[in-house]
Amino acid sequence: MLDFEYLEPTTVEEACTLLQSYGDEAVLMSGGAAVTMWISQRLLAPEAIISLAKIPNFDYVRFSEKDGLTIGAGARHRDIEMSPLVRQHYPLLYETFSKVAQPRIRYMATIGGNLCTGDPATDPGTSLMALDAEVTLTSTEGKRVLSLEEFFVDYYQTALKQGEVLTEVRVPPPAEWAGWSRIKFTPRTEEDFATVGVSVALKVRSGECEDIRLALNSVAPVIVRAHRAEEVLRGKRVTDELVNEAGEVAATEVEPTDDMRGSADYKRHLVKVLVPRAMRQALERIDG
Amino acid sequence: MKRRIELTVNGQDYEIEVEPSKLLLHALREEIGLTGTKEGCSIGVCGACSVMVDGRLTSSCLTLAIANDGKSITTIEGMVADGELDPLQQAFIDYGGSQCGFCTPGQIVAAKALLEANPHPSEDEVREWMSGNLCRCTGYYKILESVMAVVKQHEGVKG
Repeated sequence: MLDFEYLEPTTVEEACTLLQSYGDEAVLMSGGAAVTMWISQRLLAPEAIISLAKIPNFDYVRFSEKDGLTIGAGARHRDIEMSPLVRQHYPLLYETFSKVAQPRIRYMATIGGNLCTGDPATDPGTSLMALDAEVTLTSTEGKRVLSLEEFFVDYYQTALKQGEVLTEVRVPPPAEWAGWSRIKFTPRTEEDFATVGVSVALKVRSGECEDIRLALNSVAPVIVRAHRAEEVLRGKRVTDELVNEAGEVAATEVEPTDDMRGSADYKRHLVKVLVPRAMRQALERIDG
Repeated sequence: MKRRIELTVNGQDYEIEVEPSKLLLHALREEIGLTGTKEGCSIGVCGACSVMVDGRLTSSCLTLAIANDGKSITTIEGMVADGELDPLQQAFIDYGGSQCGFCTPGQIVAAKALLEANPHPSEDEVREWMSGNLCRCTGYYKILESVMAVVKQHEGVKG
């Protein structure tokens, strides 16, 4: 019988102290969906589980014009999806969170838990990356703030150091990112993981692309930003040819693998198709 | 080491002793004896183990019993009030929403959670919500019909 201590700190400080003292032998649990499954499958056999569920005010979703959106790590996907602030100011996030798995999982899984699994097939990190979100990591030593590109290190690996807890996600004010698109390609069933996922945010003024952020999931060991594809458009007058070229370039920036959702070649082909499609949708939203 | 926890299940209070690794699903079935909640995929995909925890739809295979200490759980057994079937249960009978029956408790609990949050969902909302509950018999249409029949009953009392 697998046995472990189940610890329920009531402050972040207490959680950090516990995490520090148990070191590698402890696993953090937030909503519990992923960690519970891994324990059931015997992929994890920790000495202790440190649950964050009893920490008060850890699930807030706040917005201000100055700071943008701040989300407590304990906010569940459903909390974010249902937030009127998210719907109003960050339609890309609403679109993304409302398509994660199905409602039952969205009621359970938290944003902190999602990001800390470092699973490149999940959706939230992709759109958060396209919106230039950053995460706050807290330990007994203090806090540090990382971009999501810095946070996602490798397949199921993040930049979290021993004793650190992801405590907050911040998304900058949406101001001029009027163009956005999210395409989650799921050929089997709606609630599946994406075969390929594309998130794009665009700033366009008088037909010229002032800035662009393009992120993809399910195509590499981590959720990736397609920097070179962004460069195809950045500072240029947007044309159909350039949009298509951006898709071609993006396909050279991904490293998909063969799995039950498709071959690597198929996924690379999808990137070529879906990136231009997402960019066109984003442009249409700007034109209104 | 076992720990004592308190659960309110279908309005009744229980005190049980569980290993920390015990899933809520197994605590309900093995400790409390409510076997209506089924174990299907064990990874949160099939929906057979759906219960409500403090009113929120939950996969009981993806949460430890110990993590639910002090919470209120509703299972399929809690749907019958004073010997009367819930309108959803009756609709699943009337419209053939249940065939082999294995997924049915999860289907009905999921539909109940939807209708408690939103008594007047559109057909699209029902389809989207129920996408988390797999059925290998009915082809889904009869399930949709069953749920929509209850939605239409609600429309009669739309206020």
